[in-house]
Amino acid sequence: MTTRQRTTITVNGTRYEREVEPRLSLADFLRHELHLGGTHVGCEHGVCGVCTVLIDGCSARSCLTLAVQADGAEVTTVEGLRDRESGRLHPIQQAFIDAHGLQCGFCTPGFLMTTLELLRDNPEPSDDEIREALGGNLCRCTGYQSIVESVRLAASRLRG
Amino acid sequence: MKPAPFDYHAPRTLEAAIALLARFELEGVEARVLAGGQSLMPMLAMRVARPQVLVDLGKVEGLDYIRADGDALLIGAMTTKTAAAESALVAAQQPLFHAATRLVGHRQIRNRGSVGGSFAHADPASEYPAVALVQDLQFRARGPSGERWIPAAQFFVSYMTTRLDPAEILAEVRLPPLPPGTGWAIQEFARRSGDLALAGIAATLRRERGQCTDVRICAFGVNATAVRLPAAEQALLGRPADGEHFSRAAAIAGESLEEPMSCIHASADYRRQLVRVLTGRCLEEAATRAA
Amino acid sequence: MIRDQLPTSQVRYVGREVTRIEDPGLVAGSTQFIDNLALPGMLHCAILRSPHPHARIIRVNANPALALDGVVAVLTPEDVRRLANPALTAPAGWGTHCLATDKVRFVGEPVAAVAATSRHIAEDALELIEVEYEPLPPVATAAEALADGAPLLFEQHGSNVIQARVYDWGEVDRVFAEADQVVRSSFRWNRVGANPTETFGCICQWDLADNSLSCYGSYQVPSFWGLARSISLNLPANKVRVISQPMGGAFGGKGGARATDIAALLSRKAGGRPVKYIEDRMEYLLAGFGQSWDRHYEAALALTADGTMTGLRVKLIDDQGATAEGYGTISVAKPLAAFTGNYRIEAARYDTTLVVTNRAPTAPYRGYGPPPHFLVLESLVDLAARQLGVDPAELRRRNYIGKEQFPYTIPSGNEYDSGDYAAVLDKALALAEYPALRRRQAEARTAGRLVGISVVSTVEPGVFDWNAYATVGVQGVGVPEGVRVVVDILGNVTVVVGFNLQGQGQYTIAAQVVADFFGLELGAVRVTTAPTDLAPPHFGQGGSRLGVAVSSAVLGACRKLEADFRRVTAHLLGVPLDEIELMDGRFRMKSRPDAGMSLAEVAGLMLGRSDLLPPGMEPNPQASCVWTAPGRNAPDDQGRCRSYLTAANATHVVMVEIDRDTGHTEILKYVVVDDCGTRLNPAMVDGQIQGAIAQGVGAALYEEYVYDGQANPLVTTFVDYLMPTIHEVPRTERDFVVTPSPTTAFGAKGCGEGALHTTPAAVICAVNDALAPLGVALTETPASPQRVWRLLRQAGLG
Repeated sequence: MTTRQRTTITVNGTRYEREVEPRLSLADFLRHELHLGGTHVGCEHGVCGVCTVLIDGCSARSCLTLAVQADGAEVTTVEGLRDRESGRLHPIQQAFIDAHGLQCGFCTPGFLMTTLELLRDNPEPSDDEIREALGGNLCRCTGYQSIVESVRLAASRLRG
Repeated sequence: MKPAPFDYHAPRTLEAAIALLARFELEGVEARVLAGGQSLMPMLAMRVARPQVLVDLGKVEGLDYIRADGDALLIGAMTTKTAAAESALVAAQQPLFHAATRLVGHRQIRNRGSVGGSFAHADPASEYPAVALVQDLQFRARGPSGERWIPAAQFFVSYMTTRLDPAEILAEVRLPPLPPGTGWAIQEFARRSGDLALAGIAATLRRERGQCTDVRICAFGVNATAVRLPAAEQALLGRPADGEHFSRAAAIAGESLEEPMSCIHASADYRRQLVRVLTGRCLEEAATRAA
Repeated sequence: MIRDQLPTSQVRYVGREVTRIEDPGLVAGSTQFIDNLALPGMLHCAILRSPHPHARIIRVNANPALALDGVVAVLTPEDVRRLANPALTAPAGWGTHCLATDKVRFVGEPVAAVAATSRHIAEDALELIEVEYEPLPPVATAAEALADGAPLLFEQHGSNVIQARVYDWGEVDRVFAEADQVVRSSFRWNRVGANPTETFGCICQWDLADNSLSCYGSYQVPSFWGLARSISLNLPANKVRVISQPMGGAFGGKGGARATDIAALLSRKAGGRPVKYIEDRMEYLLAGFGQSWDRHYEAALALTADGTMTGLRVKLIDDQGATAEGYGTISVAKPLAAFTGNYRIEAARYDTTLVVTNRAPTAPYRGYGPPPHFLVLESLVDLAARQLGVDPAELRRRNYIGKEQFPYTIPSGNEYDSGDYAAVLDKALALAEYPALRRRQAEARTAGRLVGISVVSTVEPGVFDWNAYATVGVQGVGVPEGVRVVVDILGNVTVVVGFNLQGQGQYTIAAQVVADFFGLELGAVRVTTAPTDLAPPHFGQGGSRLGVAVSSAVLGACRKLEADFRRVTAHLLGVPLDEIELMDGRFRMKSRPDAGMSLAEVAGLMLGRSDLLPPGMEPNPQASCVWTAPGRNAPDDQGRCRSYLTAANATHVVMVEIDRDTGHTEILKYVVVDDCGTRLNPAMVDGQIQGAIAQGVGAALYEEYVYDGQANPLVTTFVDYLMPTIHEVPRTERDFVVTPSPTTAFGAKGCGEGALHTTPAAVICAVNDALAPLGVALTETPASPQRVWRLLRQAGLG
């Protein structure tokens, strides 16, 4: 059988060291080894974007990455968005609530993480740029219009 | 959808990676190279790929770079597509490759997916092999017996198969410059934005005194590998760069395809039509860029 | 209407665009979806599925799997034959056990299962199970199912026909004979389905001491699933407890009957350890509850010379797939609730044949049947307009049921409560700048472009009732939806419901009503779900009913509490009961509004000072209300009954352009005006509409479950099942009309399925308007580029 690999991943600022099976995806590692269940899994073959996290600051589908590949990496998940001290929601999270950017909420963590990257790189995106950035995230509930509005609202609040 | 078990190695150097591959080949162990994993991971999850060992290049030093080599550009195999898409050097010197990169998947995929991985994976629907064939890219392969350069025309063998030996690793891609005045275009047709192309065309041409010279047309997504369309290219050489001749070349492009693939989204005859349409559109677009 | 119902001087929440109480947990990632739940000692299940569309099972040997390290239990056909019963179906007798026992009837049908210490190991173990099949000839299409000598899926029935029934309403033959104009067409609607981003999942634990079962999972209709399990698993119903978890969408298409039985039986075989099963996406696409509406139509519309629609004939052959376990049969019956759409059509006939084939069983999906029916009806209306040379909007207007005609009973028996279709149309045409749009189209056509416009109107039957489905063997009139409103000793209010989150925001609706009723802050109201053994009678999400049902039930429970609290207050203040009123959260004297008690004071007193209560009163500051739609009745011999309580309506104006070379359709403009009565939370209604448009665009242009000629599924991943991304969904322009329902508490109508009734018809009608000058028509969904290109080629283009 296969040899487990010692893997060290920093998630939301906390360093975790685990012996993992090589075939374990980063998504399953986060969810079932670290019990960070906010990163959801929608297709496990890299199409839906539900499992999006940031790896070293870049959005990635955690179902398309092995946990062992992320050895040494810094991973940010939806659990890392809230302010640690106060528990306050991140402005992006709050904007999704205020602009009704979610319904069932299952795809939402993926949208939030993708938006986090977008607004970091481009604080004032046009609607087309928002759409381009979110093209890899499927939502079956909202029809996306309210999501675009949420991102726009978040952008304006983050710019202050 | 969980992969079958496999062992995993993450060597630090290319030499170590090659040594591992050589050893596994000798031992009859099925090993696969893992680059960005964006194409391999779904195959693992569906258990259609069942390697016994993965050799991950993620920790190999010195495979992540974009640098000029005279007029040419050298790109390390593990450079991400996002890095290529955001590189000013690539944008300035390799506009066709740059445009192709931006057509690949979505941001999340480009962030992880490597430039070398796409060439080595040789998916027939991928944009990169078509660019390689149009622009005569060269591939530096490193193996147990040293390194060799493989020209694009020899690199792609068949469906997801390249000239690389089992213990060889694609280390670097060399992109020669587009000759001055070259017009270029790449267009594809997919069901949804970001999906793999049902058909696509990459094309370059130059104009001398209103006549087409050095016409290169390559189709992807239609055969087991990307394919140059010499009949269509020939039909344009020395001809006026105008709509009438582009249409004629486009029609020949569609007809000259050998047994296009068929799938639920596009039958063989529909793929011929797409190649015809996209060839015409690419030639028009390329002509606007040709000096 | 809202004001009349709420004892408040200022309505703060009901009817307002308030943010949802569900959302903080969802955006934080802390909401406990089923796969986030783990129980001590839990095992993981994987299911071995048939690779054959139709085959006899000769032998199953699961012993090699049992030998794998980490495997704790296996489940075989032999086990389920001994321990379980076949599934409940409608009609009865068209289902099987949770594992195929004698033969498999579709690719993906469960054949064996494993419980192991991880899902990875469970999947490894599946590869060790030996199954010997004897392939049987498959039935790949409805036509094959009906052919003489066709292979039979259920030999005992002697036929592949589940049901053949003709409904006759009025003098159909006469109106067709007398018609000046008859338009007819055939239509092929290919399978689409729900595909919520979360698949089905459950954790089942069989308590061997108590012989009882607990099922945690993404259950849309918990008590219904619980009852069905008691039958399939031979347990008394009160020994099956279903705990519904928040769901990542469902849209009707979230099954789990077989998977729950499998996980339950594995738990039983594993000594009572909990067993988790999470359906993966390929399993969902192959054999989940994700395939709906596989239909072949022949239809005709009769009109008089002045464009009056007089008769509608629809002949439907519906491919139900391999069994009736998914209740796909019901979707054939539901169009009775709105058969003739928005129009005064005096007579109609519905000729239905439901067959089994070796495709996956069909299941509910948002709309539950009418969306394809409206594609047929609205396409016929457009055909008629073209033949008569009348503008399609004008032809519709001429035939609308007038606003003064409500309540209006349609020929198929349902009663529409209210509406003003002309007002909706007018608003839609104005918003779309319809005359200018037609001018743009004319200019585009002159330039050789293929541009089409549609104006499509539909009715959304809302607030479903079981009587709608009696015709396919589901007996019942009335669907309960119960809530319990509980006030604690400090005056905090909790609403207990029987369903869980699914996306529509019904917790917020419940909180809006309670908060306004008792003068509370919205955030102070807690809404929680109870397991089936503790919950009031309930159904859950389905048939665009829960918003209306929950708001009505909560209102009913609040009124009961109000009555009790007034009694306490009157007793304490020593005044007559009539002298006490509830206003803005205070139980006060009408003559001296400053004298009274707060909710907390009354509740505290009830629970803490029984000595002060009116004689005989229980210290029980809580109230239940179980709501069901009023005035429902049993169907007559032609299926006619008052089934759906409300009738919302909408008109969509769509402009598309077809690429002459590739057949690709682009939506250039999308205008929606709807009327679903009072909007309890306008932002949420908007979300339902835009979301359903996205699904409708998917059904019209992208999504399709394709099978080959041997009934093998060709769409098994998201690479091939093409749900619209952000780039494919149009940016819509929306407006609305409010015609309150006279039959519901706040005047609200069911609106959850709405736009999916309209969008596929609107998009396809626009495509056909674009194609009309070429003399070709698309009569099959979706309008995929390849399909449209074939038509263009037929017309000499492309």
